[in-house]
Amino acid sequence: MRRPQKTCAICESGVRIVDYKDERTLSRFLTERGKILPSRLSGTCARHQRQLSIAIKRARQLALLPYIKGFAG
Amino acid sequence: MTRPYEVVYIFDSALEETAINEKLARFHALIQQPGTEPPQVSHWGKRSLAYPIKKRETGYYVVAQFETDPKALPEFERAIRLDDGVLRFLVVVNEGAQPAPVTAGKSEEEDEE
Repeated sequence: MRRPQKTCAICESGVRIVDYKDERTLSRFLTERGKILPSRLSGTCARHQRQLSIAIKRARQLALLPYIKGFAG
Repeated sequence: MTRPYEVVYIFDSALEETAINEKLARFHALIQQPGTEPPQVSHWGKRSLAYPIKKRETGYYVVAQFETDPKALPEFERAIRLDDGVLRFLVVVNEGAQPAPVTAGKSEEEDEE
């Protein structure tokens, strides 16, 4: 049984290069704990998933996104 | 040979704006190449950090785009690391601002900001 193919949200929005400074868009591709959402769940294409993972990791370094959400250290 | 770069600084939010501008001028003097344009600086201002850095909850964000020789970067990064007013910084090759192919359309305009 094959699931219907999801379409890549980034391709649809017409963005060619994912920007690591746009944390509002990036946060759509995180789990509620702040992990990177796998493309099998988010439906992003392979090219944009690669760009996303790099962009999210850069945004984490710059404290735009948390490494872990909801963790009071 | 120059390449386009982008740097994001997170300054200590306790610093005065004049002090930040002075530091920026000092850093950017290190990467200024003769015959190239001065860096395009945009201040995001004070923002809350997603997690504390050096016990600070807020930081003053500045983004700058510039073109320079890769050989100038180690000295540039060293100067930033030595500065206690900078909580964190990130230098990346700027791919967003590359001259866009004609078909690219609107995504490139967002990257120019």
